[in-house]
Amino acid sequence: MKIAIRLGRAEVRKLFTTKALPVSFAVAIVLAIGSVLIDAIVAGKSGTPRLGTAADVYQMLKFAAITCVVMLIVGILAAGGEFRHRTIIPTVLATPRRAMVFAVKVVVVAGLGAAFSAAIFGLGLGTTVVTLAAHGIHHLPAGVGGLYAGTVISSACFAMIGVALGALTRNTIAAIVVAIAWVLFIEQVILQAVAPDIEKWLPTGAAIGLTSAPGTGHFLPPVVAGVVLTAYAIALLAVASRTTIRRDLA
Amino acid sequence: MSTIRFRKLTKRYGPIVAIDDLSFDVRPGKVTGFLGPNGSGKTTTLRVLLGLAAPSSGTATIDGLAYRQLPDPVRRVGAALDSSTFHPGRSAAQHLRVVATATGLPPRRVDEVLGLVGLSDSAGRAVGGFSLGMRQRLSLAGALLGDPEVLIFDEPLNGLDPDGIRWIRGLLRSLAGENRTVFVSSHLLTEVAQTVDDVVVLSRGRLVAETTLSELVERTSVVRVRTTDAPRLLDVLAAAGVQVRLIDGSTVEGRHASAEVIGLAAAEAGLPILELSRQDADLESLFFDLVHQNQEIAA
Repeated sequence: MKIAIRLGRAEVRKLFTTKALPVSFAVAIVLAIGSVLIDAIVAGKSGTPRLGTAADVYQMLKFAAITCVVMLIVGILAAGGEFRHRTIIPTVLATPRRAMVFAVKVVVVAGLGAAFSAAIFGLGLGTTVVTLAAHGIHHLPAGVGGLYAGTVISSACFAMIGVALGALTRNTIAAIVVAIAWVLFIEQVILQAVAPDIEKWLPTGAAIGLTSAPGTGHFLPPVVAGVVLTAYAIALLAVASRTTIRRDLA
Repeated sequence: MSTIRFRKLTKRYGPIVAIDDLSFDVRPGKVTGFLGPNGSGKTTTLRVLLGLAAPSSGTATIDGLAYRQLPDPVRRVGAALDSSTFHPGRSAAQHLRVVATATGLPPRRVDEVLGLVGLSDSAGRAVGGFSLGMRQRLSLAGALLGDPEVLIFDEPLNGLDPDGIRWIRGLLRSLAGENRTVFVSSHLLTEVAQTVDDVVVLSRGRLVAETTLSELVERTSVVRVRTTDAPRLLDVLAAAGVQVRLIDGSTVEGRHASAEVIGLAAAEAGLPILELSRQDADLESLFFDLVHQNQEIAA
């Protein structure tokens, strides 16, 4: 346990001593606040829901779209970066128990994903409340708590998926490009249009189900979606863990 | 006092045999040079020793334990494998602090080793801006972090300027002087000849020599004697078991024998010695001879 705690502190130090994390978080903060403000401007225009309606507030609170993508990238950089910059060598020389190194990295990055998404949601929610209040609206629809929990869970899962992809590919650029293309284009544009009944069972579809307003769309119910997304994360981590532990390091 | 031990170590990558049935020891209190041309299997051997690669068969141990089995390995073994295992955006101090944090070493140790390798002034700079020599020094700092008994350096002189080479030679000697086990790889014998006590030579993954540097030099040095009757001295030395050849009518060359043995044999035969000199083999030629002998056998 003592070794795991030391490893955890080392992983946190790794994450916070390069520019990737602060830059990612800064971008996420700007996007979260900016999306709320833009939504407030366009609400009620061109067929969009009127400001302050349940549909509008749920649209404003879709921060999971930001936090999941950011944590996917952070996860890929945290694991893949070790191979890209070959820092995996001093890491496993210091702690030859590779399974523990990998497990601690997963826990730290997933924990960071949860904390980060909770903070972004809180910040975005605060911005939403202030924005609505400025327009004389002083209430929120039911289900915001569920959306909050869904955002935190899906972000933590995407962080874990990122770690798995980074460890499996060992190429951060390729992994980020493929993962973003999959999430934003293949699933949400192609598969959602062509095969929505399949797409809802895929990782992004499950994340959308977990972070959507109750009873909207054709997505999985939040609990089922949460289980499916967690299962994807665990399965990918299991494969990545096995290869990371057994692989010769050059 | 820690001993590194290789026993029948073999590493294959598909049909390629990178290390072939390697057995030798690395003793404490000595600097052992691990020599061989590029691609001879030195780095693979070190990676297997450090648990970074799994052996196909055989063992590589430190005090009888595989690296992965060592309790608190950073305090037992320090390794500097190459100079490109740093995140370019992380500072030198932060890189070492990550390792110190993971292994429970005190933060002050980071400052100490940075001072030891002469990087105190650059501690806060991102490693991406470091020269190759500075990266080599940072690698060494990482190896020294846990103040270990066993030190393993892979080509530590690569990219260093003359001052840096001199500094590392002094460091290696002082570490061995503290009775630590120092194992240093190089593809040039001349590069480490001033530093090493023992020599292990590898060629195409096979051990071709395991000896002390002085024995290696002695074994390959020749003694030339000029006398009044070289053919007779040739017979005298041959009878004494010395490997000899006639250079010209007045000069004989003896191999695998000291100047003392040859001089006494000549004196007992009543032959005047006009000149007697030992000629050490050119180390680089010797190294190539060793390596190429094995390559010819393999071919």
